[in-house]
Amino acid sequence: MAITRRELITGIAKAGVPAAVAVTVGTETLKAETIPVPSAAVGLLYDATICIGCKACVAACAEANDTPPDTRGDALHQAPSDLNDLTRNVIKLYKPEDGSAFSFVKRQCMHCLDPACAAGCPFQALHKDPESGVVNWTAEKCIGCRYCTITCPYHIPRFQWAGFNPRVTKCELCSHRLEKGLKPGCTSVCPTGAVIFGPRPVLLLEAKRRIQNSPGRYYQDRVYGELDNGGTQALYLSHVPFEKLGLPELGPESVPAKTLRWQRRFYQYFALPALLYAGLVQVIRKSLAGHEHELHEREKETGLRAQI
Amino acid sequence: MSSAAAEINRSDRWERAVPVYGFPVVNGFFIGLSVLVLVALILTAYRELAGLGPVSGMNDAYGWGIWKTFNVMVLTALGSGAFAVGIAAWVFRRKKLHALMRMALLTSFLAYACGLLLLGIDAGRPWNFYWIVFPWKWNMHSPLAEVAICMSIYAMIPLAVENIPPVLERLWYFDSRLRPGVETIEKRLHYFFPWIIAAAYLLPGMHQSSLGALMLLAGERVHPLWQSPLLPVLYLGAATFMSFGCVAGTTMLCCLVWKRGMDMDVLDEAARITAWLIFVWLGLRLLDIMIRGALGTAFHFDRFAGVFWLEVLLIAIGGVLLWRSLRTHDKQSMFVGYVLSSAGGMIYRFSPTTLAFRPNPEALYFPATVEILVSLGFISLGVVGFLVAVKRFAILPAPLQEWHDMASYFRFRRPYIRWTGYFKYGFFGEDETEGGEYRVSGD
Amino acid sequence: MIAAPVGLSLTSKRTAAQIAKIVGNTRRPSVIWLHFQDCTGCTETLLRTSAPDVTHLILDVISLDYHETLMAASGAQAEAVLKSSIEENAGKYVLVIEGAIPAKDDGVFMELAGKPAIEVAKEVGSEAAAVIAIGSCASWGGVPSADPNPTGAVGVDSVVSGKPIINLPGCPPNPYNLLAVVLEYVTMGRLPEMDEFKRPRFAYERVIHENCPRRAHFDAGRFALAFGDEGHRKGWCLYKLGCKGPVTHAACSVRHFNEVPGVWPIGMGVPCLGCTEKSVVWKMGTFETVPIHLATPPDTYPPIYSTAGGLKVGAAALVGAIAGAVGGAAWVASQRFQSSTEAGVARVSADIAYAEKLKAKPTGKKED
Repeated sequence: MAITRRELITGIAKAGVPAAVAVTVGTETLKAETIPVPSAAVGLLYDATICIGCKACVAACAEANDTPPDTRGDALHQAPSDLNDLTRNVIKLYKPEDGSAFSFVKRQCMHCLDPACAAGCPFQALHKDPESGVVNWTAEKCIGCRYCTITCPYHIPRFQWAGFNPRVTKCELCSHRLEKGLKPGCTSVCPTGAVIFGPRPVLLLEAKRRIQNSPGRYYQDRVYGELDNGGTQALYLSHVPFEKLGLPELGPESVPAKTLRWQRRFYQYFALPALLYAGLVQVIRKSLAGHEHELHEREKETGLRAQI
Repeated sequence: MSSAAAEINRSDRWERAVPVYGFPVVNGFFIGLSVLVLVALILTAYRELAGLGPVSGMNDAYGWGIWKTFNVMVLTALGSGAFAVGIAAWVFRRKKLHALMRMALLTSFLAYACGLLLLGIDAGRPWNFYWIVFPWKWNMHSPLAEVAICMSIYAMIPLAVENIPPVLERLWYFDSRLRPGVETIEKRLHYFFPWIIAAAYLLPGMHQSSLGALMLLAGERVHPLWQSPLLPVLYLGAATFMSFGCVAGTTMLCCLVWKRGMDMDVLDEAARITAWLIFVWLGLRLLDIMIRGALGTAFHFDRFAGVFWLEVLLIAIGGVLLWRSLRTHDKQSMFVGYVLSSAGGMIYRFSPTTLAFRPNPEALYFPATVEILVSLGFISLGVVGFLVAVKRFAILPAPLQEWHDMASYFRFRRPYIRWTGYFKYGFFGEDETEGGEYRVSGD
Repeated sequence: MIAAPVGLSLTSKRTAAQIAKIVGNTRRPSVIWLHFQDCTGCTETLLRTSAPDVTHLILDVISLDYHETLMAASGAQAEAVLKSSIEENAGKYVLVIEGAIPAKDDGVFMELAGKPAIEVAKEVGSEAAAVIAIGSCASWGGVPSADPNPTGAVGVDSVVSGKPIINLPGCPPNPYNLLAVVLEYVTMGRLPEMDEFKRPRFAYERVIHENCPRRAHFDAGRFALAFGDEGHRKGWCLYKLGCKGPVTHAACSVRHFNEVPGVWPIGMGVPCLGCTEKSVVWKMGTFETVPIHLATPPDTYPPIYSTAGGLKVGAAALVGAIAGAVGGAAWVASQRFQSSTEAGVARVSADIAYAEKLKAKPTGKKED
């Protein structure tokens, strides 16, 4: 039985490599152009050059979502230092020490076209609505594994650390208000119009119009989220580099497409694993037969019951 | 070795798995471990009531603490013995390794059981685990779904079933009334064995590599010395040599503690395979880093480079020691080689989620005391299980003489326990079939 | 902001002169003002108005038939006036009550012309068109009702029933609260919109905190921590000195006192006591801080990356101890392997030597 490895490899090769190759190569890769934009995709356009940092959107978000304001910082003011289990929307300040241009930035869920959080969620508790594109969290399916807090490239979903019934909190574009024909809480109170709500194509056009009308005002004359991370539904305009505002440069491929390509291909239709299994069963059958034969010999030799 | 020496060394050959006898289960060490287990259970109850925040150092930036990353990711790698040693023994037909199979199966089962328990404790909303029963609700794109589902199925079916034979064996020896039932079950089991054993190799292959795929989605936040498209393959490779180290190292330690001889043939075979696996893995790892152009970062003076070199050096030195021990037949360097390479492998599997994970330049993670105690307690649970199993079932390999010694120990020290197979054909030539009570199978 | 400085209109629609003209065309409405357990502070506060001033008020706008402090008469003559005014204007006069009414022991603690105050209140209130309870004492009991309330002091609405009652709490309340209510009644014949405690909304709908001039300091986290300290001198927020502004319904932050801007407690650097609120002023400590129910964002901004987690010494020590224990055990075990290997080698070489010796002797000692 000295050529068992060869048996295994030839067995699998004969039976399945052509089929497996066909299956995996046939799987399309997902690039930004091929990620579908939902039919009624809505989103936000945030222009950091207009934002005055009044934080009305922070208070309005808590009110619209019926969450108690986060006063854990000083027991007095609604003062979240970051997104957390009570805060879906936060205004942060980028203020370089050398005195160069500062900027406010509004951070909330980007509602990516190919969300990494939904790609990683084991039982689809985080799910992208196929029409509006809003990524919603469902308590009934969530097992609290916190994988979404790790996979999201923008670090948005936040887990509730205290209590025995924890939830995952993130902006859901006020879906409950959208249903009633209202706008999300943050966009309803912004005094300067720094954040506006609308269908994604319309917002993209508006962003591009602003870039065209004010050359040199916006960083790299581009709107973040058009292609970044495969496209997002929350779009950003800024006069300082997006990296400085905590928006990483991810390239036009979405995180799941970029990283899970081979994983997706390998498990497509479960073909390769099934094939491998069939091959293994064959090899082990032969091994088992030989092994049992030897065990019986030993049983006769020693007089003691065989141990499998 | 000269033939005479070979003749004499025959007494050390591992021919049969024999329960450890003459050592009480409950001793000081056992009691200490049980205390740790009890502490962990109490703290777990507290965690269920108070939530994850108060009991652990996990925070918004580091969503996973040591429970998922150590007890599940690292310890199940150590517990992949059933997979790695099994594949070597059954698929690649390294017959000598069959002596280690029961040890491998037991350590794997305990590592997976404790790992899965902690996975359940770590989940924030575990009552929703029931969705696992509906395959159409699974998100098959998610590596974590793959890990959870695959690990659960693996531990509950193939691994558990593979661990049943020693239990059945004990039942067969201890109570003759059970024998017909035991033999029926064994026959059924043997019929399904190829399917079960094949599943026991496919499933760990899938989820050990998916454990690596988990951190692929974290992208740039994992340091470039670890983040690579080859992460699943490297995780699987690390699991193989780590588990060899765990199985062979544990067997060596057990033989030392319970004063049994060590079969250098088997151990040499294991060491050779492990060394080979280590060098291939190291080569792959370094090649991957060089191709991605990340080698420069290994020479920065920061904690990432430090961890990287620690890991690589531990694994490399471990591999070298194992290789040397093949020539010198030096048990010490073999054991140290196993320990070092496993430690290095553990650091490798631990890093991408914690040591090399930088979600936020300002955030830090260090486990809280309660978190550490729970983790330690569940590891102790595994060790306690091991100590009990190895003294009650035939797991630890030994020469044939050991079985006879054990039988006579029981015969003279505990006469109410009859290991009858021994008596029928045995050393003292007694024939106990007069009463017609004891029948050996195949008679 | 003072709503009624001299020369401007009390309401947006009419000046005092115009009102007087309208009112002057009819018989001036009767007002009866009763004092019970009071300090006369509410009357005093009324004296500090100028639009209209008290003279103008009582001579041209209303007919103040009975007011123990302001009327010239006293004794039997005063009581006769009271009786005749009630009879003549039954159902049409406005009763203003200042001070709490002692209700314990059949009201024996205060008697007005020989009659218990509680009876007087009921009698006079029974024929009134409306009852205005001016001041905290009349609104809910005020100072006399503070623990242990030995006289059983209660507000007007616990004594008089079946009549529209307007509470104007405060100690004292801003006089323009009273004037606005009176003038609205007189010109438009109706009472202003009131909340569930019968307080007019135009004055008592919001809390002090909502319109406080020092609110920016609160939002920025700048607090005076002790009287006379730097923050106090700079006019910072008095919340931490026990200001009850966040839970006190009143208009003092908008309409100050004595018609001088800035003349009001907080403006003077004294934390608000919450004098309009029954559950605050004689119940909470002067320097006790109150919870904030409508939290708003502060001035400070979070940075782009926030800190999280940290090294805990105890846990680090535990990890170190465990690592040390495991490493130590592994080292000890490896040492014993050394000795066992050496022993094994020694044993094997001894066995080999013995075997060689056996082979060297072909006869006798060999075993079958």
